[in-house]
Amino acid sequence: MSFDFDNMLSKIKSKQWALADIEWDAPGAELIDPALHAKLKPFMADLMWIENVGARGFAAMAKKAPTPTLAEIYRYFHAEEQRHANAELALMRRWGMLDGDEIPEPNVNVKLVIDFLDKYADGMSLSFLGTVIPMLEVALDGALIKFVTDEIADPVAQEVFKKINNDESRHLATDYAVMELLGHASVRKLAIDLVGGWVKPSLMIGLLSYVPLLNKMRDNIVEMGVSEDKLYAAMARFKQVGERTPIANRVPMYRIVKMHSGWVINREHPYHLVADALVKITGAIPDRLLPAQPTWSKELTYEPVA
Amino acid sequence: MSAVSKPLDVAIIGAGFAGIGAAIRLRQKGIGDFAIFERGDRVGGTWRDNTYPGAACDIPSRLYSYSFAPNPDWSRTYSGSAEILGYIDSMVAEFGIAPYLRFGHTVTGLVFDEDAGLWTLSFAGGRRKVRARTVILASGPLSNAGFPDLPGIDSYEGHKIHSARWDHDYDFTGKKVAVVGTGASAVQIIPELVKQAASVKVFQRTPGWVLPRVDRRTHGLTKQLYRQLPVTQSLAREAWFWGHESVALGVVWNTPLTRVVERVALMHLRAQVRDPWLRRQLTPDFRAGCKRLLMSSDYYPALQRENCKLVTWPIAELSPHGIRTAEGIEHRFDCIVFATGFEVSKQGAPIPVTGRDGRSLADEWRGGAYAFKSVTVAGYPNLFLTFGPNSGPGHNSALVYMEAQIEYLTDAIKIVLERGLRTFEPRQDRQDRYNRRIQRRLNATTWNSGCRSWYLTEDGFNATMYPGFGTQFARQLATVDLADFQLR
Repeated sequence: MSFDFDNMLSKIKSKQWALADIEWDAPGAELIDPALHAKLKPFMADLMWIENVGARGFAAMAKKAPTPTLAEIYRYFHAEEQRHANAELALMRRWGMLDGDEIPEPNVNVKLVIDFLDKYADGMSLSFLGTVIPMLEVALDGALIKFVTDEIADPVAQEVFKKINNDESRHLATDYAVMELLGHASVRKLAIDLVGGWVKPSLMIGLLSYVPLLNKMRDNIVEMGVSEDKLYAAMARFKQVGERTPIANRVPMYRIVKMHSGWVINREHPYHLVADALVKITGAIPDRLLPAQPTWSKELTYEPVA
Repeated sequence: MSAVSKPLDVAIIGAGFAGIGAAIRLRQKGIGDFAIFERGDRVGGTWRDNTYPGAACDIPSRLYSYSFAPNPDWSRTYSGSAEILGYIDSMVAEFGIAPYLRFGHTVTGLVFDEDAGLWTLSFAGGRRKVRARTVILASGPLSNAGFPDLPGIDSYEGHKIHSARWDHDYDFTGKKVAVVGTGASAVQIIPELVKQAASVKVFQRTPGWVLPRVDRRTHGLTKQLYRQLPVTQSLAREAWFWGHESVALGVVWNTPLTRVVERVALMHLRAQVRDPWLRRQLTPDFRAGCKRLLMSSDYYPALQRENCKLVTWPIAELSPHGIRTAEGIEHRFDCIVFATGFEVSKQGAPIPVTGRDGRSLADEWRGGAYAFKSVTVAGYPNLFLTFGPNSGPGHNSALVYMEAQIEYLTDAIKIVLERGLRTFEPRQDRQDRYNRRIQRRLNATTWNSGCRSWYLTEDGFNATMYPGFGTQFARQLATVDLADFQLR
C-alpha cells in the first residue's frame, strides 16, 4: 500500500504544539542528579544543535521535494526540528544551565556540519538528503533522546520528550516512505543521482564533517557514563527498517549509508582509526579559523512567547 | 413580480473603474437610459477600498487610465491610491456621470425573464426591484476582501485589519504588528508600517519575484506638454503599452526571456539583501510570472530594518494574543494586518444570477468560470461582464483590457437597443470552442506551470488569465461579430 502523504500532512498540521503549552516552572527540575547535571549541559547543547542541523536538512529537502504536499511536509519538519531545539534550550534554562540569555556554542564538529549544510545542502539531490537525514535522525536523535527519557526523572522533560518523540515518529515514517519512493526510480535515474552526487567535491567536505560528528557524539555518550550500545542499537534500527521496505534497498545511497552505519557500530572496523583521527584533528582547529555561523543557526530561543 | 417601474436600457452593477468607464462610453454612444448601482457610498471600487498606507498601482498611471479620459496631471510614474481615486472622481465630474449613480444599492440577485427579455435586479434592505433590458456586471474580481483560512483566526483578540478595509483610526505608533501575506499589497504596506510601528513581523508563505520599481515625479513641463499637445501623451501611453507588451514574451509564456526576468529580480535581491539565508528565504521556487510579479524597491530594505523580521515558519494557529508558528513560539501582537488578497470570483458568481430556463451561474461555474471572450455567457442573454473569466493580463494594464471589453459590450448593447432585440446571447458552440482554445493555450503559460496562485482554482483550472498579448485580447473584441450570437 502506498504512503498517503496528504493524510500525513493533515496529521502533522493537527498535531502542532507550542512551547507555551508547557508549564516550564512546574516542580520536578530538582529531580536531576547533581552529578548528572554537570555532564548534561554539553550533552543537551549538542542535542539541541543537532536538532538545528536536522532543521536545515529538512529546509533543503523542501526545495527538492517532488510534490507540493511533500514540500509542505518538509517545511513543517524544518520548523518542528527548530521547535525541538527551542524546547531543549528551554529545558536547559529550566535546569539552570544557561547563564542569562546565553545560547550555548555549538561544538567544532557541529560548526563544521552547519557550515557544510549552509554551503551545499541546497545543491544535494533528494536521494542524498533523503537517506542521510533519516540516518542522522535515527542515530543521533533516536539514541540521544532515548537516553534523556531513560535517565531524567523530571516530569516536564518527560512531557517535552514525549511530544518530540511523537513528532519524530512522523518524521521517520515519512523518511522511510520517501526512501521507498526513491527506490521506485529507474536504475538509470538512481545511477545518475549516485554518480552526480559523488563526483561533487562538496561531498568530500560533507564526509569530513559528518564522520567526526558521529564519532564525537559517541564519545560524548560514553563520557556521560552511558553505554555506546544505545547509539548502536539506534543505528541498527536504520538497517532494520530498510529491510522491512526492500524497495528502499534499490537506492544506492541508502546502501552506502547503511554500510557506513555498519562500520560505525563495529568498534573493531578500521574506519574508526580514520574517524577518531578526524575527531582529534577537527578538535584542534582554532576558533578563529572556523567560518562565521549563518543567521539560520541563530534563530534558537527558549522564550515560549516572542 | 413586484417590479413595476419602466425598465432601464442598461443596469450597471458597480461604480469602480469598469462601471464608470462603461457609463462614459454608453453616453458617448448615445445611450442615456441607464443607472449605476453601487453598494458603497462613493465611486472607486477597489481603489475606494484599498487605502492602506503605500497603496499604489504597479502599472504606470499613464497606462493605468482610460485612453478616452486622458489625464495630463499624473504626479508620478506610479500613482498612489488617493490620486487614482481622484482620477475616477474627475471622470465622474467631467463626463457627467453623477446623475446616474445610485449609492447604497447592494445587488442581491439577478433573474432573467426570457419572455420579456428583461433582467430583474433585487437589492438588499428591501429596496424596490429594478428591471433592465441589459446588465453590465462590473462588480470586479477584487471586490471582496479575503481572510486566510487559518485555524483559530476568530480566537485572536487583538486588532485585526485587512489591507482592503484599512482602519485609518488605528495608530501604529509603538505597536507590535504582524503582517500576514507577502503579495502585492504587503510589499507596499510593509515599508510604510516599519516607519511607524515598534516592531513588524512579516509572515511569508511563499516568496514572490520582486522587480525594482522606478517611480519618478512627473516634471511640471511634461504635464504642460501633455496638456497642450495631447498627442505627446498618447505617444507616451503607446510607449508604455508596447514596453509592457514585450514583457509578455517572458512573463506569459515560459521562454528564455522568463529567465531574463528572473535574473533581473535575482540581481535586485542580491543588490538589496546581504544575508545569504534571508536571500534564500526570499528566493521564489516557481517561474517568474506564475504568480503576480511584485514591483518594489522599498520592500527588501524595509524587511532588513532593525524593527522588522521575516518569519517563514508555517503558521500553526492564531491564539488570543497572536500567531503560533510551527517552531513552537507564540508571536504576540497588538495588531495583525492581513494582506491576503481577495476572494477572487474564479468559481461561482459574485452574486446569484439566474439565467434562461432557471439556470444558475454559480452552479455552472462551480468547476471554474468561463465565458465567450470573457464578456458574455451562453444561457445568460443580455448580460455583459467586465473583467470576466480569462481576461486578466499578467504583464500589462488591466485598464487596457477593460477598455477593450467596454468597447465591445457597449457596441453590443447598442445593437440590442437599436434592433429592439429581446435576447442577445453567445452561441454555445462558439463559446465552447473559444474556451477549449483558451484552455489549450493556457497550458503553455507560466501561470499553469505548477505553482499555486489566486489565478487558479483548487483543482488547477485557470479561469482568470488571458493567454496572450494585450493586442490579441483587444483585437478579438474589436468588433461584435453577430455570427457568434443568437439574436431574438
